[in-house]
Amino acid sequence: MIRMYRSIPLLMAVLVWLTACSPPPELVRPDFPLPEDVLITEAPPGQYGGIMVLSESQEPKHFNPLVRGDAYTSTAISRVLASLTGFDPMTQAVTPELARDWALSEDGLSWIFHLRRGVRWSDGEPFTADDVIFTFDALFDERYPNRYAQQYTIADEPLGYEKIDDHTVRFTTADVYAPFLTDIGYISILPRHKLMDAFEAGTLQEQWTIQTAIDQPAEIVATGPFRVFSYRPGERLVYAPNPHYWRADEARQRLPYVDFLVVRFVASSSTDTVLFATGQTDATGVPVSDVVWVREAGDTYDFTVHDQGLDSSIRFFWFNMNPGTDEAGVPFVEPHKLRWFQDRRFRQAMLYGLNRPGLVRAVYFGRGEPLDSVISPANRKWHNPEVSHYPYNPVRARELLLEAGFSYRDDGRLLGPAGNPVDFELMTSEGSALITAIATTLKENMADLGIEVRLNYMDFAAMISRVSDTYRYEASLMAFTGGGDPSGGKAIYRSDGQLHVWHPNQATPATEWEARVDEIMDLQERTLDEAQRVALVHEMQEILAEQLPLMLLVVPNAYVGIKNRWHNVQVPPMGSIVWNLYELWTDDVER
Amino acid sequence: MLSFIIRRCLTAVPLLLAIALLVFLLMYLAPGDFLTAARADRDTPRELVAQLEREFGLDEPWYVQYALWLGNLWPIGWNENAAHWWNRFEIDMDLGFSWSYKVPVVDLLATRIPATLLLSFTSIVFAWSIAIPLGVLAAIHKDSLFDRISALLAYAALSIPEFFLAVLAVFFAARSGWFPTGGLTSIEYEFLSPVGKFLDIAYHLILPTVVLGASMIAGMMRIMRANFLDYLRAEFVNTARAKGLPEGVVMFKHVLRNAINPLITAFGFAFSSLLSGALLVENIMNYPGLGQLVYDALLKQDQFVVMASVMMGALMLMLGNLLADLLLAWSDPRIRLESAA
Repeated sequence: MIRMYRSIPLLMAVLVWLTACSPPPELVRPDFPLPEDVLITEAPPGQYGGIMVLSESQEPKHFNPLVRGDAYTSTAISRVLASLTGFDPMTQAVTPELARDWALSEDGLSWIFHLRRGVRWSDGEPFTADDVIFTFDALFDERYPNRYAQQYTIADEPLGYEKIDDHTVRFTTADVYAPFLTDIGYISILPRHKLMDAFEAGTLQEQWTIQTAIDQPAEIVATGPFRVFSYRPGERLVYAPNPHYWRADEARQRLPYVDFLVVRFVASSSTDTVLFATGQTDATGVPVSDVVWVREAGDTYDFTVHDQGLDSSIRFFWFNMNPGTDEAGVPFVEPHKLRWFQDRRFRQAMLYGLNRPGLVRAVYFGRGEPLDSVISPANRKWHNPEVSHYPYNPVRARELLLEAGFSYRDDGRLLGPAGNPVDFELMTSEGSALITAIATTLKENMADLGIEVRLNYMDFAAMISRVSDTYRYEASLMAFTGGGDPSGGKAIYRSDGQLHVWHPNQATPATEWEARVDEIMDLQERTLDEAQRVALVHEMQEILAEQLPLMLLVVPNAYVGIKNRWHNVQVPPMGSIVWNLYELWTDDVER
Repeated sequence: MLSFIIRRCLTAVPLLLAIALLVFLLMYLAPGDFLTAARADRDTPRELVAQLEREFGLDEPWYVQYALWLGNLWPIGWNENAAHWWNRFEIDMDLGFSWSYKVPVVDLLATRIPATLLLSFTSIVFAWSIAIPLGVLAAIHKDSLFDRISALLAYAALSIPEFFLAVLAVFFAARSGWFPTGGLTSIEYEFLSPVGKFLDIAYHLILPTVVLGASMIAGMMRIMRANFLDYLRAEFVNTARAKGLPEGVVMFKHVLRNAINPLITAFGFAFSSLLSGALLVENIMNYPGLGQLVYDALLKQDQFVVMASVMMGALMLMLGNLLADLLLAWSDPRIRLESAA
């Protein structure tokens, strides 16, 4: 008995040694010749080796771009499958990927894409124009509902595509379409030689599921920097370099440098932060509320937390300005309240009366800024800094209200032009400390203006249904992720958009300024000149900042952390810090 | 015996249908559906949402959805194209497709079941092998210091919720560094030798097993002790002692044999929790079992995954009870199934 007790620590030690100290595996890199049109990166050459460990709070649901998935699924797919074009977050420019270069015809309606010659799928099959044609055949097929079919329907006409030769494809659009190069990069090109049978059998959407990744990872052939090496559901996804990747460094070493990329799945995003702060993962986004304590661990675990500047998401509250009625003829919003909500001065007064700098200090510990434009400063290319600003100024708020016909009762309560006391109900989603803090501040600031705000927390799904189906609410508070081309926000800006939340799905624009915004959104898509497009989008931001259909709140700074052992790191103004995973390398392979 | 089993299985069918109906109704009444996220997404076209709604049947009223689901579940199909009339019947149970994973629900659950079964198995074995000897010892040495300490610990273990114990365990693992903070395998797992793989999994199982087993041990130990005490005072014990049987034989052949019955019943319930019991603990300890999958499916309202897992839990409960009854009949010759049913 005693001998057994003694052997327990020994056994534990053996276990720990066996599990923790096994040497990193040797990766065999086959010596395939580089493709004729190899892309040489600008980053200084590094050396092979090392394992990068990342963590995600959700798993990919499948590896099939034609199935609607979440952001985690898209990230996983983008590591394995390349597109025709890419996006460089440093320069905010469209970059060549599977397409080597492109040319636009004189009339602006047809694009010739030259594909990279000599590129092969990870199983050694050549990549050709047939793969591109196959991908577009699949996404326009009725049997496979997917988001791209509408995305690539321009001016009510599906995109035209034809093969000119093995390495040239021509796309034609019904109208001039400025965001074409960005948009064409959204769809990953699928391998015809692997998926043609399933396409004909009508089972394309059931291909490349997680089951495939578990049983036959090699079936998911890659053109991206990595291929799936192994997948253990609930635990981790391991990627190995694609032996046929088409990017190399100046020393003509084929990228990527890392031997393995391991993505661990954790139960929540806070675990994700903890893992990074205790040195167990290599890189992560750090939430603004955790920055201070995570930074403190930086010396111990040899990592740096970088400040990316303001985040690209936007958070706002708004009033229901829908003048319609339901089937029974009951108006969505009481008519006297609708009159207040539709008055621009009332909305402006709200923003003057809201202490947004205080909000930044309270909820983001000063690490953020009030937002005035509907496009966040993080989106450098499109953000307009010159829009109307609304500093905290309760005096100005009261002036505006009086100007708009409101008046004050003796007890300080604000009365509407028709004499009703001003109050409204703010509907927002439950379960977030941040939203609660914002809503409470709003309630207090409005009370200072003599307005009573009632807070109504509800389930997110129920809230969405009120906003987009039943229109039965007075005011609400929400956030959208941002970034990318402004055309991606069409559903918000255009008056017939479903996320034009204050008055969605309009048949014809209800106001002049909404008509102008619609016009701008159409015009900018047909304007090829970049500077003119930017000017148009700037005008749209000015209109929205002046009219304030969305009263923008505050935006936090974004932070990303990465271990110091990685070289070639470039911190982008928005998005993941490991966007250029293919050129990151380390000389410290022992973890 | 056989007719008992058949009768039990037949009564299970309406019960399962009723459970399914209830779950379906609850899912329907809950706000939102699987496509809520898509509706709030700024770059998912509404035509696609409408298309998916039709494809998933979400635009149908709930009773039509339920009927469709039942229709697919109905095990006996009719295949017109078969060569002979006698093999036109097909046995095919379809629990549906997962909307987010695009794989049959059965396959999806199958990827997670082994891990959950493994953990349930180790924690039950752990609990039984500790609870029974402890309970017996506490009964034999009634009112001794050991009895009192074990009672105190048992009440403590019973009063700590499992999820809290799991949080403590993760904290302990993170602080001490003696145990992994979660998962079933370490990062190097793929590259280990078979022995290394086995040890790696064993090492990862220690903490979850202890957490899940702790409250089981406490409960079972108290039951065991109380029962053992009851039977210690039984007349047949006196008889056995009077016959001059050695104390060991009296305790383990006569008393234990009788006292173990309620634990066998308890095993029936434990069996039902084999697949569904550890949902919270699995989530907290990052254990790659069914827990995470089902929790996520519930949040996203991936209907058929939720349906299948609830049905599976109910089925396991019924099977567990049946198994417990059969085991009881086997271990206790006084129980006859025919008359009991």
